[in-house]
Parts: sequence; structure tokens; C-alpha cells
Amino acid sequence: MVKDPLNQLIESLSDCRSLLADQLPVGNVELQDDFSAFCKALDFFIQLKQHNTSTQHSSNSNRQFKHDMRNAIGLVNGYIELILEQANDSAWTTTLSNTHQHCQNYLRKMLNRSDQSTPSEPSLHCENSAKAGQTDRPKKNSGTILVVDDDPNNCELLERYLHKDGHQIICAYSGEQALALLNDTSKEDKHQRSIDLILLDLIMPELDGLAVLKQLKKNPATRAIPVVIISGQHDTEGVVGCISAGADDYLFKPFDPTLLRARLNAGLERKRWHDKERQYRHELEINQRFIRQIFGRYLSDEIVASLLENPQGLELGGSRRTVTVLMSDIRGFTPLCETLPPEKTVALLNTYLRKLSEIILQYGGTIDEIQGDAILAIFGAPLSHSDDCDRAVACAIDMQNIIPMINQENAQCGLPAIQMGIAVNTGEVIVGNIGSEKRSKYAIVGHPVNLTARIETLAGAGEILISQASKKALLSEVTVVRQFSSQPKGISESVTIYQIAAMKGRYTCQLFEEDTESQP
Amino acid sequence: MINILLVEDNEMNKDMLSRRLSRRGFNVLTADNGQEAIDRAKASIPDIILMDMDLPVKDGWTASQELKSNPSTLSIPIIALTAHAMSGDRQKALSFGCNDYETKPIEFQRLLAKISELTA
Repeated sequence: MVKDPLNQLIESLSDCRSLLADQLPVGNVELQDDFSAFCKALDFFIQLKQHNTSTQHSSNSNRQFKHDMRNAIGLVNGYIELILEQANDSAWTTTLSNTHQHCQNYLRKMLNRSDQSTPSEPSLHCENSAKAGQTDRPKKNSGTILVVDDDPNNCELLERYLHKDGHQIICAYSGEQALALLNDTSKEDKHQRSIDLILLDLIMPELDGLAVLKQLKKNPATRAIPVVIISGQHDTEGVVGCISAGADDYLFKPFDPTLLRARLNAGLERKRWHDKERQYRHELEINQRFIRQIFGRYLSDEIVASLLENPQGLELGGSRRTVTVLMSDIRGFTPLCETLPPEKTVALLNTYLRKLSEIILQYGGTIDEIQGDAILAIFGAPLSHSDDCDRAVACAIDMQNIIPMINQENAQCGLPAIQMGIAVNTGEVIVGNIGSEKRSKYAIVGHPVNLTARIETLAGAGEILISQASKKALLSEVTVVRQFSSQPKGISESVTIYQIAAMKGRYTCQLFEEDTESQP
Repeated sequence: MINILLVEDNEMNKDMLSRRLSRRGFNVLTADNGQEAIDRAKASIPDIILMDMDLPVKDGWTASQELKSNPSTLSIPIIALTAHAMSGDRQKALSFGCNDYETKPIEFQRLLAKISELTA
């Protein structure tokens, strides 16, 4: 004959009492006192059980009995915990711990059953699920779990289990409530932080588990949250329906705590990976956007894309290569600044630099430096093309041609007209990231840069001057307006300089006829 | 030292809990019913009250409500101790002014955590 589990519990408690009576240190008054309180509570429990066995009862009194019984076991359990706290690895500790476990399991079973409407108590099976009762669980795998169950008892029971493992529990007592909670992104309540897993009861009035699940999987914001279905013992069909609708796992009621834990952890792990992946993707996007934004102002899209693909191109240090350097400057800018309030100067510069930058980037140039009204652009670094020099010259022509438009725009804002000179030179320079790890700059260094600057000072308003080196490097034919020799300041040899007005070939273009209106 | 007022009519429950709490270094006062709880709370202003809800003379609900509407006691945190079977108790306890609730049989570690949280 199978023993009544309640009798089994009483037996184990009584054994424990005999052992303690025998082995507790006589000198420890406090412990002895706790022990006699434990004995009293145990007697009360035994009496209650005997009283119940000898009386017939209605379902109402049955509920009362369960309540009393739970209280009595809880009481005995409380005293055991109290004694255990003082145990210090005594000979009786193991026995007492086992009995404690026994009580805990019994209580758990009782709580689990008490939510079922048929009070067929107390024929409980006290299986050996000792591991489930451990109180100290690692908390590192914890998460926020949404429990959806129309029976608050079930919610509370799950909350008890899960709380022990360090999970945050949010309860919803209906499908509607659950969806409302998940869809309410407006509330930045700390309790409403992202949910890592959903335990969803299948059978609920109104909106049932399957309907909730379908809604969840329809919404991109909730699709990734793992869902574990809770269902009645034999509802395999329902579970299958849910799994094909996107549920990750299932559990049958009443739960085995070990199984519950295992499935939860698996689900949470999945969610963690998903979150991590999303975070990485997000960070990557931010980084790329940042790089595009910052470099996009100075580099053409093509170059940004190439740098993103080959970030080693950003390493410090330079390389020797042939580039075409373009420098431009507003004629008479300094005296202009003196007559204009700073705000107007900035407004003037912004329009001017914006338009010119657009043109430079369009021709694949890199804006290396902007200093006040002066622009230094390079063609041929970081990426080189066979027609870098042609690009630079075409770019210079377009830059000159846009000036009347800039002046027109500026005139509308009451700003004065400007004029610009441009110089183009080609030569071997060092280009690369120059500076320290913290602060570095994509820069070019070399004699051709200095020479360009010198030539640029010779360029009059609306003029484009190119060096002999550039003229040689050009693939296309240019229209030379003027040719002259000059020995610019600081340069030992004299150089031949060409003033050009047009170019043929791929980038065919020419300077507009000078607009008389723009003359001051 | 933190003073706890434990309101519980069941002698054994009261004995067990007050034992465990005093062992943890709390100073435990007790009361057997809701009225006594109010009187003792007013007289000694404990740091926290653990209140059973099912009490004679005046139940825990009424007592909590009265304590929370009296200026001298309203700031004392109350943890309602309710029977697990009554699932609505949690909401009820909060609506009656209790700061937290714990179901019976009490999970001692969790109770301690709640006490330290509310008396911090």
C-alpha cells in the first residue's frame, strides 16, 4: 500500500525530532528553546492531521483545512530553518536539511494544487525533486519574464519559483492585458523595461494563448521575445498549434520546477543572443553613420566607402604618391572681413564653402583643409585615378563658374560679391594620417604643396593658374590664355605657369564669359 | 536597532516569527489584534509593521487603513501577511495602504529582504 504523503512527511518530521532530542547540545539554551517550540508546532500539525482524518468534511471546510495545514507545515518549516541557521555542520544537519527539503516540497506541491478547483486533497505525490528546492540559485542568468495567466494563483506560484532564480516577474491576468503591456512603449517605467521571455497560458477566457501568440508574432517589436506555452496536461494538439504559430517551447501543468528552469534558461539564452546581435548591429550602424557624416564632409562617398571597407587605410603614417593639389582663395577677403560683422562673414563663407565643397567631392577630390576662405583639395589620395589632374582642372573651372551664382545668392541676403583665384599643381607628396593616435589628420606634406600656395597668390580674380607639372600630367588638351615664368617667393627655380580658360576631353568645360554685373 | 511590530493572533506563528526576527538582530514588539496594533504603533512608533490580515477585534485591513490615515503613524511601512489562497489579497493589501505584502507560509529570506528595503 502506498503511504499517504502527508503521513510520510509527519514520519520524517517525527524522526527528525527524535534525532534532535538526542543530539542537540544540552548546554545551548537558545537552541533547546527553539527545539521545544519546534516540537510544539509539530504536535499541533500532527493533531490537525488526525483531527481531519477523523471528520467528514464539506468542500468549504476542506479549503479551511488546507489553509490550516499549510500554515502548520509552514510553521514547522520555519522552526526548522531557525534551527538550521544555528547548525554549524553538526551531525544532525544533513537529516534536518533533508526534512526541511521535504517540507518545502510538500508546501510547494500544496500551493501548486491549491489552484485547482477540485479539492481532491491530500493525495499528493511527494516526488524527489530535491534540487528544485534549493534556495541559492545563481542569479546571473536572470531576466524579466512576463507571466500571462488568468488564474492569479498560477501567476503568484510562478512568481515564487522564478523570483528565487533572480528573475523579475511581471504578471498579466488576461491576454488583453499582456498585449497592452507589451505594446505600451510610451511608458518608460522601470518595471516596463524590455521583457526577455513570456510564459503564456494557453487556456484563457476572451483572448486565449494562441490568439495572443499570433498578435505577438505579427508585431516586429515583440516578435523576437521567446514564448513558452503553459498548457493542461493532455493538450498536445493545442501545444502543436502554438509551436507552429511561433512558440519556442511548452510546459505542461503542474510544472516540474527543474524543467521549468531549464526551459526558461534556454529561452532567455536565445533572447540574450538576439539582444546582443541587435546591439552589435546597432553599434555598427552608428559607427558607420558617424564615419560617413564626419568624413563625408571632406571625402567623396566613394572614398568613405573604400575606407569603411579597408579601415587599415586609416593607420598612421604616410605614403609617397603623386597627387594634384588645388588651392583656392577669395581675393581681398581680409579687407572684406573688416567691413562685415562676423555673423555676416560666417554666412558668406558658409554658402561659399558649401557650394565649392560639393563640386570638389563631385570630382572625387579630398578636401584636406579649409582655413578661413582658403581651400586645399587633393586629387589622387587616398584613392588615385589616372585622370586626377584633369579632374582637378575641371573642378577648378566649375568652381570659378559657380561664383556668379554664389554672388547672386549672397546679394539677396545683402552680402557683397566675392571673387576667387585658383591654383593647380601636380607633384610627389607624402599623404596619410599624420599626428598622434588621439588627434591625427589626413594630410599631405611636400614641396608641391608649398609651390601651389605660391602660385595661388599669383592668381587674379576669376583666374585659374596651373603649373607646368600639371600641364604635363593632363590627359586632355587645355586652352591656355596666358603663359609666364615666375620665381615665386621661397622657390629657388623659376617655374612656367599657365592661365587656362577651358579643357577638352572627358570633362569638357570652359570658364564663363565674365559677367559684367558681378563687377564691383 | 530596528524595531518591528509583529501583529499576529496565532500564538505559534507569532512565536516562530518573533524568534527568527530577534535572532537576526531586530527588536520585536508584538500585538494580537488590529486594535492593539494601532495602540502599540502610536505609543512606540516602530520602524516597520508586519501585519497579519486575518485578525480578531479589528482586522489587519482596517488597522492598516487607520494607521495610514493617522499623521503620527502613516509613515511607518507595513508589510501585509496574507493567506496565499486569497489571490486578490495582494492588490487589496496595497489598496489598503500597505507598502508590501508577503504570503503565508512566509519565505523568510524574502521577508528579510523586504524589511531591509523598507527600513533602509
